[in-house]
Amino acid sequence: MTPTMRIRRFSKLDRLFHLVLMITFLIQAGTGFGRMYTTSSWGTRFISIFGGYENAALIHHWVGGLMIAGFTIHLIYLITRVSLKNPWKSIFGPDSLVPNLNDARHLWQRFRWFFRLGPHPRLDRWAYWEKFDYWAVFWGLPLLAVTGIMLIYPQTASKVFPGWALNIAALLHRAEAVLAVSYIFIVHFFVGHLRPSSFPMNEAMFAGSVNVEEAMEEKPAWVERLRKEGKLEYAAAKSPALWYRIVYFVFGYSALLFGVYLLVNGIVYSRYIRLH
Amino acid sequence: MRRTNQTARLLRWLVEGLPAGMLLFAGTVLAQEEVASSIRRYKQYEASTGYYEEYEVRPLRLRPLVGIPGVREGLFPYSPTGAPVRIRTRLSDSHLGIKFYENLRCEKCHLDQAKDLHTVRANLTCRQCHGGEPIAGIDHYYSPMNPIRKHAYICSKCHEGSTASFASYIVHEPPAGSATAKSTFPLLYYTYWFMIVLLAGTLAFFIPHSVMVGVRELFRKRGKAERK
Repeated sequence: MTPTMRIRRFSKLDRLFHLVLMITFLIQAGTGFGRMYTTSSWGTRFISIFGGYENAALIHHWVGGLMIAGFTIHLIYLITRVSLKNPWKSIFGPDSLVPNLNDARHLWQRFRWFFRLGPHPRLDRWAYWEKFDYWAVFWGLPLLAVTGIMLIYPQTASKVFPGWALNIAALLHRAEAVLAVSYIFIVHFFVGHLRPSSFPMNEAMFAGSVNVEEAMEEKPAWVERLRKEGKLEYAAAKSPALWYRIVYFVFGYSALLFGVYLLVNGIVYSRYIRLH
Repeated sequence: MRRTNQTARLLRWLVEGLPAGMLLFAGTVLAQEEVASSIRRYKQYEASTGYYEEYEVRPLRLRPLVGIPGVREGLFPYSPTGAPVRIRTRLSDSHLGIKFYENLRCEKCHLDQAKDLHTVRANLTCRQCHGGEPIAGIDHYYSPMNPIRKHAYICSKCHEGSTASFASYIVHEPPAGSATAKSTFPLLYYTYWFMIVLLAGTLAFFIPHSVMVGVRELFRKRGKAERK
């Protein structure tokens, strides 16, 4: 093992899922915020990027459909990840994103670490905040999908639900969207770009691999487990090409700027909107 | 003695046999249900039928959630002290007796009602739904806004094929977090506060969490640099 060795963290498919989610999420956030703020001066200007209110709605609906398709594919992918030989380990093991008791312990240890009361938790492959990122999207997406479909097809929806369920759906859709946008643009971007150990950018999700030294520092239990199981060599990965690094740096920072732009304007003009 | 036995047997048969028979022939038993008409079962697979039984066609149908807060209904529903305004929803001219009515704009009194999506987004005017003078109260029997026929007379002007269920969408919904919403549209109220608590809770946890991580990592790095 050389210090510059890299180990694989995300498969190509994982990264593709993240990329598609990222692009669709940003489009949905843009068109959605544009529509929500359409009665304010900023919203009117901003929504013209997408060709006005009607076109933004059209884009929002189609990209929403794309997201639902992506989520369905992801669900099928999840089923294939359950190993038939050892279903318990594949669902609750350290390589799975399903939360377990260790996460609660790590959370407690990390709080102690904040105040210098104890050592940093020995994290395995997925830390509790990374799991939270995943499950936040996992429950948010179906909620937005169901309420979104109800709002696209109100006539059909009112055959299944009473018509006033559309009031609830509109409220839920907006509130969940605001929650998702503020979480991603504040917390997720901070973790990905701004926190000292990952500044200027945490490249793992784009490069697919991490430096083994960095991994040792942040996820010691993971590296140790790989070493113990003799899988460290198996998990070795090539470092990303320079051109590819430039591409994802530009892309990542564009997303960051776009998010901050939406968030700042969203807060500044928040007095013009209601959540329903 | 023998007769008592027979009575007991009959009673026993009734007590044990009938429930057993009802369980065995559940479908047949249920079919004996007394119903008012043939279209009753239609409701079981469609929430909004658009059909109305005679006994259903009366004002206030499908308005379970909209009301005026603070208004007592029941024995003395129209007390002048019970409500900030008199209930006018059953008048044929709901603005009857208002002074200088001809010179007023709708928003003068109905300011909150001019902030909903239909007004703000679709740029509808009040008259496009509520019609010309005199504007009947929405519960007046012959009002086009009466929930009996609102879907057909009002909603379907734009939303082609709208049903009574569709028309129960509340256009002038109360502010979701308000006490008004709590008494008139509780589900909206509780959904709102659930989502607000979720939003505030998530951010209240993760923003300090991120700040602490940042501070801690910053100092760890500085310490390391000094050691080197």
